[in-house]
Amino acid sequence: MIHVENLTKRFADLRQGSVLALDHVSFDVRPGEIFGLLGPNGAGKTTCLRILSTVLKPTGGKALIAGYNVAADPAKVRSVIGFMSANTGLYDRMTAWEMVEYFGRLYGLPEDKLQPRLEEIFQMLQMNEIRDVLGGKMSTGMKQKVSIARTIVHDPPVLIFDEPTSGLDVLVARAVLKTIHTLRDQGKCIIFSTHIMREVEKLCDRVAIIYKGRILANASVNELEQLYHEPDMEELFFELISRHEAQLAAERV
Amino acid sequence: MTWKNVRLVFLREVRDQLRDRRTLFMIAILPLLLYPALGIGMLQMTMLFSEQPRTVVILGADSLPEPELIKGEHFAERWFSSPQIADKLIVITDRAADASAQETAGDAAGPSNADSASMSAKLLSSARSLREKYLHLQQLEQFELAELMQKHHLDPNRKDDAAAKQTISHFAVSDEIRQTRQEFSLLFAESQIQVLILVPEGFKRQIQSINRGLADGSLQIEKTPQPLRPIVLQNSADEKSSIAYHRVQDVMLTWERELLADRLSQAGLPATLHTPVNVQTVDLAQEDQIAANLWSKLFPALMIIMAVTGAFYPAIDLGAGEKERGTMETLLISPATRTEIVLGKFFTVFVFSVSTALLNLCCLGLTGKYMVSMTGGGAFSQIGDVALPSGSSIVWLLILLIPLATLFSALCLALATFARSSKEGQYYLTPLLMVSVGMTMFCLSPAVEIKPFYSIMPVMGIALLLKGLLLDPTSAELTWYALPVLFTSFAYGLLALWWAIEQFNSEEVLFREAERFELGLWLKHLLRDKEATPSFSEAGFCFVLIMMLQFGAFKFLGDAFQHATAETRDVLMLRMLIIQQLVIIGSPAAFMGLILTKSFRQTFRVNIPNPWMIGAAVVLPFALNPLAIELSARLNWFFPPLPEGAKEALGAMSAASTPMWLALLAFAVTPALCEEIAFRGFILSGFNRTGRTGLAIALSSLTFGLMHMIPQQVFNAMLLGLVLGLLTVRSGSILPAMIFHFLFNGLEVVKSRYGEAIASSPSSALFVTSAEKGLRYTGLTLFLSGLIATLILKRLLFTASANSVADAFADDVAGKTPDLMTPSVTQ
Repeated sequence: MIHVENLTKRFADLRQGSVLALDHVSFDVRPGEIFGLLGPNGAGKTTCLRILSTVLKPTGGKALIAGYNVAADPAKVRSVIGFMSANTGLYDRMTAWEMVEYFGRLYGLPEDKLQPRLEEIFQMLQMNEIRDVLGGKMSTGMKQKVSIARTIVHDPPVLIFDEPTSGLDVLVARAVLKTIHTLRDQGKCIIFSTHIMREVEKLCDRVAIIYKGRILANASVNELEQLYHEPDMEELFFELISRHEAQLAAERV
Repeated sequence: MTWKNVRLVFLREVRDQLRDRRTLFMIAILPLLLYPALGIGMLQMTMLFSEQPRTVVILGADSLPEPELIKGEHFAERWFSSPQIADKLIVITDRAADASAQETAGDAAGPSNADSASMSAKLLSSARSLREKYLHLQQLEQFELAELMQKHHLDPNRKDDAAAKQTISHFAVSDEIRQTRQEFSLLFAESQIQVLILVPEGFKRQIQSINRGLADGSLQIEKTPQPLRPIVLQNSADEKSSIAYHRVQDVMLTWERELLADRLSQAGLPATLHTPVNVQTVDLAQEDQIAANLWSKLFPALMIIMAVTGAFYPAIDLGAGEKERGTMETLLISPATRTEIVLGKFFTVFVFSVSTALLNLCCLGLTGKYMVSMTGGGAFSQIGDVALPSGSSIVWLLILLIPLATLFSALCLALATFARSSKEGQYYLTPLLMVSVGMTMFCLSPAVEIKPFYSIMPVMGIALLLKGLLLDPTSAELTWYALPVLFTSFAYGLLALWWAIEQFNSEEVLFREAERFELGLWLKHLLRDKEATPSFSEAGFCFVLIMMLQFGAFKFLGDAFQHATAETRDVLMLRMLIIQQLVIIGSPAAFMGLILTKSFRQTFRVNIPNPWMIGAAVVLPFALNPLAIELSARLNWFFPPLPEGAKEALGAMSAASTPMWLALLAFAVTPALCEEIAFRGFILSGFNRTGRTGLAIALSSLTFGLMHMIPQQVFNAMLLGLVLGLLTVRSGSILPAMIFHFLFNGLEVVKSRYGEAIASSPSSALFVTSAEKGLRYTGLTLFLSGLIATLILKRLLFTASANSVADAFADDVAGKTPDLMTPSVTQ
């Protein structure tokens, strides 16, 4: 469903000159699977997912979503994905219902299908009591629910979550993860980025560890543990990173 | 693009703005409250405002002739055009009657009267010392003048020497006089007297005797002594004194007229004796015309300012605000395309811009009308009831508001998208407002009327047309101007809209983080991360630098030119031109190229071109010159006349006093080198980094045109810039452009010198004719050169650009390495 091959992105940066945010990144995600992108802040997770959601253009390489190329066919790509991140805000002066309705219309849902779909989503995410609350008046948890509702309103086959739990309290984060799990069971193809090891262990079928724009490992959680003889995800993560640092240092010398 | 999405975005944005209290306040409530509030404020101000009376002191008041000039403590009311003004001047005199009255009053009444009495006593004493000082100064001056006249052997009675006398008295003043003058002026400033009138003794007697002499016919003109003159002292640099003086002047004038009338009637002469011509003026202004005049000044200015303001605040919210709140990304990942989003937002801003402008105009119009009808008297009394603009004027206003609002809405949206945050966005308002207000102010001056050239300028065309149409909505001439004004204004609007869409398509702009800016860091970055060719912004900066240097050099060049004598002037002019080219245009570009880029060669395209490109560069100028001359001759009516300086420069080109080689050096060689280095070298290479060659050529020729300052030349240079840019890009070398530039300009120089000779030789009659303004080409020449130019340009357009090393490298740096791009294409 998602096919990423040698994806590269270069930024101009005032401090460091040209920065390679993504360095030949490749991976695949199948339907009915949650693919975790695990990495520290600044590793390139957001850049990668933004390229997948077509708001950034790749410098090199290619990415296909449901067969559409993100660089050549961005409109098609956007219609088959749902994207949610900590950065995708809500309009302050719109109610929950209006917000989801607006995006449903932008996704081209016909009016007779839109209203039942909205009722269904509001029922599913238990947000009927915040229907008429303005975005500016919502708590973080409510906002997150509305964001999820917006993401799935057009029932996309591919869902991209960029650190969806960042800044949430345990209860809300748990609810979000649960929703993602449900969506997986519906057969969605899900890519999920985080810097929290626990979430990966709990949720992901496969995981890629990304650091400084490169993928250091790409396998299922169990495979990783066997491969590196390290049962603890956190230790494994640090192990990989320090190995990579050592390698970089060696290259520099 | 589907209109459904545009409509969706539009409706959402409008609803969002209407729910925003701040926007609503700015756009709807403020104008509704502002103008009535201003009206109330003005009313209160006029009620509370009272002018401080000014002090006039008269010495020698007893010698004032009849009729009575002074009544009590004021000038008599009859000498003023409106009697209330009499109170604005307090008159203190040294009349015996007054002085005694004051003394007794001071003794008898309370302290306040005593105060005023002592005050006037003080004023009188300082007036007396002023009089002494004045007389002393007079004496000194006369003495000195007499001395000087003697020294220069001048006879005061001879007429020729009168002028000399004046020069002497003006220039040669001794220190003593200068010091006395200074003291005198200081004394006056300290005296708290605004106007001092010194009436000479015996003034009354002299007037009476002349009157009597006239009446009984005994007056002998040659025997009458030098007439005595009262002296009025004032300080025009002091506002209080100046106001008082103007009033006193009016009073004296009316009083003098009355005196004259008395004199004439005593002598039995008609009262109209002194006004043999006595014109009568008839004012044909109708009430509605006066009102139209008022509206034509107010409405265009207010419309422009309010269209900007009305567009600006929503645009900030829709652009930078949305980025700031993180909803921009949410919108960008929806299936709506960037163009749909921008259009939806643009229409929202447009609606607010139009409605703000209209609401403000309505409120101003109604409040103004109400205020004028209420005030009645005073300065507005001539206007009477101010009629609102007629229906057709209002229709015109609405039509013109649409392109104006389009331009401002798109411009504001582009700026707002460019801004990282709302706060940064707010900073862009001031320059935008300043530029629009500056343009409006220019248009408001009564001498400026709509002309063909102004009609294609942004904002100005609209302001001038509206101004004209508010004065005379039925004018057929103005109606014709509506075509170019509307056409160009819409074109500017669309251009701005295109820019806004570009902004939305650029991920650097959309995801610019508000990173800390450090000058040192930035400079380091400039020098560290050099690339083969300059960046887009470096090219832009190079142009700005050239313009700034040119602006700074104006005064310097002008000064040098002023001091030149007529003979050396032409040569100096040419030398100046050479220096200007080298210092202002050539060096900055070359210098920037050396410092800011890795490869001087690639930046300035120092390559050997294909031979046929050189051929094209040699033939094209000869083919294009006749066409360019013909075009500018045909379009001459369109542009404002050439300024004097430019005419002189053109004169110097053909002046016999300048050697041919110098003229060629100044007009052909240095421009070909310097301007090409700057505009086809650094600037074109920088603009080309966008990867869009067409846009780069257009922008470089636009900057090349603007550098020429004078509208005609801007136009010509822009067209030539396109050809020069095309030559450079297609050949991958700067050489063809230099050859073209040299030949084109050289041809002009040769023509201006030998034009007459060429035209008069019989064999050339087929190709050229001698016209009033120099050489003109015949139809045959034009046809042939048109044919040749078309063929060459067509071939140039359809050849592929020489893929010079510079371009390949630029592609690599931009990251478009071919091996990575191809897979996405083949999929």
